[in-house]
Amino acid sequence: MLKNYFKIAWRNLVKNKVYSFINISGLSLGLACAMLIILYVKDEVSYDRFHKDGEHIYRIVSQNFNESGVPDGMNSSTGFLQGPRFTEDIPDIKEYVRIQSTRRDVKIGAEVASLDLFYADPNFFSMFTFPVLSGNPKTCLSEPFSVVISEELALTQFGTTNAVGKTMMFRDNEDFVPYTVTAVSQKSPQNSSIKFDMLLPLHVTEKDLANNFNWFNSFLNTFVSLRPGANVSLVNDKMQDLYLAQTSETAKIIKEQYGNNRLPPKHFLQPFTDMHLNKELPAQNGLTDASNPTFSYILSGIALFILLIACINFVNLTVARSVRRSQEIGIRKVVGGKRKQLVFQFLGESFLLCFFAFAMAILLVQLALPIFNGLANKQLSISFLLDAKLVLGYVTLFVITGLLAGFYPALVLSKYSPVDTLYSRFMLSGKNYLQKSLVVLQFTLASLLIICTFVIYEQFNFLTTQELGYDDTDLVLLQKNNLTPDEFDTFKARLASHGNILNVAGKNAGYWFTVAKVGADKQIDFANETVNQSYIPTLGIQLKEGRNFSEDHPSDATQSVLVNESFVKEAGWKDPIGQTVDFWYNDEKYNVIGVVKDYHYESLGLTIRPQLFTMKPSYDLGMLYVKIAPGSATSSIANIEKVFRDMFPFDPYSYHFLEDQNYQSYEAEAKWKQIMLFSAILTIFISCIGLFGLSVLSAEKRTKEIGIRKVLGASINNVVAILSKDFIKLVLVALLISIPVAWAIAHKWLENYPYRIQLGWQVFGIASLLVILIALSTISFQSIRAAVANPSDALKAQ
Amino acid sequence: MLLQLNNLFKWVNSGGQRIFLLKDINLEVEEGEFISIMGPSGSGKSTLLNVIGMLDAFDEGEYHFLDESVHTLKEKHRANLYKEYIGFVFQSYHLLDELTVKENLEMPLIYKNFKGSERKAMVADMLDRFSIVGKKDLFPSQLSGGQQQLVGIARALISNPKLILADEPTGNLNSKQGEEIMDIFKQLNDDGVTIIQVTHSEKNAEYGSRVINLLDGRMI
Repeated sequence: MLKNYFKIAWRNLVKNKVYSFINISGLSLGLACAMLIILYVKDEVSYDRFHKDGEHIYRIVSQNFNESGVPDGMNSSTGFLQGPRFTEDIPDIKEYVRIQSTRRDVKIGAEVASLDLFYADPNFFSMFTFPVLSGNPKTCLSEPFSVVISEELALTQFGTTNAVGKTMMFRDNEDFVPYTVTAVSQKSPQNSSIKFDMLLPLHVTEKDLANNFNWFNSFLNTFVSLRPGANVSLVNDKMQDLYLAQTSETAKIIKEQYGNNRLPPKHFLQPFTDMHLNKELPAQNGLTDASNPTFSYILSGIALFILLIACINFVNLTVARSVRRSQEIGIRKVVGGKRKQLVFQFLGESFLLCFFAFAMAILLVQLALPIFNGLANKQLSISFLLDAKLVLGYVTLFVITGLLAGFYPALVLSKYSPVDTLYSRFMLSGKNYLQKSLVVLQFTLASLLIICTFVIYEQFNFLTTQELGYDDTDLVLLQKNNLTPDEFDTFKARLASHGNILNVAGKNAGYWFTVAKVGADKQIDFANETVNQSYIPTLGIQLKEGRNFSEDHPSDATQSVLVNESFVKEAGWKDPIGQTVDFWYNDEKYNVIGVVKDYHYESLGLTIRPQLFTMKPSYDLGMLYVKIAPGSATSSIANIEKVFRDMFPFDPYSYHFLEDQNYQSYEAEAKWKQIMLFSAILTIFISCIGLFGLSVLSAEKRTKEIGIRKVLGASINNVVAILSKDFIKLVLVALLISIPVAWAIAHKWLENYPYRIQLGWQVFGIASLLVILIALSTISFQSIRAAVANPSDALKAQ
Repeated sequence: MLLQLNNLFKWVNSGGQRIFLLKDINLEVEEGEFISIMGPSGSGKSTLLNVIGMLDAFDEGEYHFLDESVHTLKEKHRANLYKEYIGFVFQSYHLLDELTVKENLEMPLIYKNFKGSERKAMVADMLDRFSIVGKKDLFPSQLSGGQQQLVGIARALISNPKLILADEPTGNLNSKQGEEIMDIFKQLNDDGVTIIQVTHSEKNAEYGSRVINLLDGRMI
């Protein structure tokens, strides 16, 4: 019996190549997307679950409160003290490991490179399960000047993974100090939040350990492992009690000195495995790959869309083709086939088709994996497929797809009455609302994705081409830690001797947010920038009022500041020039000498925050901005490198163009742009091959009608219009539904951006036109063929 | 007695009017008869055949088949009844294009849950009986019309029905092929199978033992 079903199914598949192609290609695309997403989601939820003792590992985190006790943000970092003090007094805590992320200059051959690394407590390898290839994991971090490196780094540094006992030179101020490799570890797994190339022992002085002020500095991740059976909420309570008891004195001092009236934060334990997908307490401070679960949801949604659209193709085409197959159904019933047997037969066909689609999908996944890895920022491999749970997931997917696609047609087809079908009295029930609704659903989903893609493209375009308030073209950015004003002057003078260098400016590295008083008792937070006087002109920042720092006013270095418009607004000043900014905790006061126009010093994803510039020579600069003449990039970069290497031979040299760096800050948007583009193309493609199949069948069904119309004088255009009209109507309905939904989604998404495009009708108009054009060209292909056919053939065949 | 129709009516409603397809049909068929139904186009020949074959329902009257009252049976029982006792032969053969001759013959047996070995034996037997062993692996499209109808008859016979219903079995055949088919029907009837055929041809009707003439749904 089964053999017979499959024989028929196979022969049907081979005989109807167009439909088999439409169904198999559509389903395999849908299945491939679903498989990739399952792979992705599986990886997402598997983060940090490979540690042997993982379920007992927690991170110490805290909830902050404002003055009136309202929760005000979470803090995932801790300081030196939480780990040792809590472990000392809470027996349920077995051990603690602190991990501090940093960057150090290391000699690699003749070059110096800045590398990311962790300082970690010596028991790092006993709490976490990272296999060590050589060296002793128990003692490798016990001694100062030891370093644990990954096999990858060992290969690049020493050309061998057998590197224990070799030395690496780390920069310590002006000197390079040798560190001994004590262990080589395996590459950190893809699904690990802790990814390291180098570990150094974390060194905390006795003085730091005794200093209670350190309770208030948080800059590292502290992990603890609890003893089996420990009650987490009891441990939480004990931690909080300890914290309050040990900080009461210091808290008072801080309150008096800094006017901090915030209520103390509440400490608690966050399960290690919860970290990866937690939006409030993400993997940060050197821990990597923090992910937003929304990403998984949206990807799953898209995969489901695509699979659904492919299944709809199957349902629609099978039902539409049933006119041709009705005779077979009639015969089978007459010679004794029961309805149940026919249902099984059609389900069998659907499963066979699904099987081929499934095999194709696995091939597609293999092919698409590199692109997908790029998009998802992962290193997934097809070998992940060999996981029992995942195989089970795929089998479920297979069965669900087979049923979804096959069940409805099976029920419909098996219902036909044999007399109707055998005596050609059979007509597919007139209105066919189901088929129409399914086509509408397909095109609704497809146009939804297309419109969203348009919106993302526009917003991305806006973000990357928007006026920033300064000129980021031809600006080369160099990093040089601890640059003194003298060194800066020499650097600038030496560069100036080369033509094409228009200006050079210096700024402190990164952004430093701090607080100061701007009135009797008004405090505001702002970005505190240390620059020199060439900064404002080099970047082309506009002055709104007042003046820039100037050598003619020697007091500028110690008494003057510039602020931006947002600062003025936040401070509430009517007449900003001459106002005082009071850094009361440092006993420093500054006069405002100028106001610069707001410019986007951060990404356009953030509102421009208050910003203040000082020119204190006692603060070192960390960033160099070199403005070069347009079109001189190659020679200028070479000159800059020469001067830099000559002046600072022991500093790592690397440069960026500010324009590129700004562009890269929209990496997330760029990724979404690509994902949406891919899925929009896939959905419209699968929807259209379905539409194509339906138009072939419709033209076939109406051969006689077309023949009669032509005999009576209808032109080819008339016939094409008649055949296309019905389908285009459905596409229009789909657009009517999808436009408001897309508008709502786009509106919601754009709200994330303080600077965004206006949603005009153009986006919707162009997207709709595109959908209609694509649909029309799909249908017309078949309509025209039917319209130009010879009517006498059509009528004879009836 | 094989079957009996008493005061049987079948109609459709069209535009507020009732149009009778079958009107007051009374018919008794004994086992072993060979009956020909004749009449002009639209007189209700095929409808009567389908009602007898239980493929089509009727609106009024009684139908007894082998002591079962068909008019009181549920759809499912009715289907079981015809599947067990009736074989159908069609004007346009109605073979499955995707299956070979052998597989077409095998299909009814599959639905009746015969074992593989039994099916093989029965199919071989039938191929022998109609001398089409050489054609067993061909598809219907590779056969002539006469040969296709031969397969159609073989398929109707394979599950040993008591009654064969044939709707213009020679309608698509040339006269020589038609004669051969009619000879086979005659032979089957001699072997004891009851046959009811619909035909336009006086000549074919002569093979039968009785002729029923229909006009506008009425027996005359």
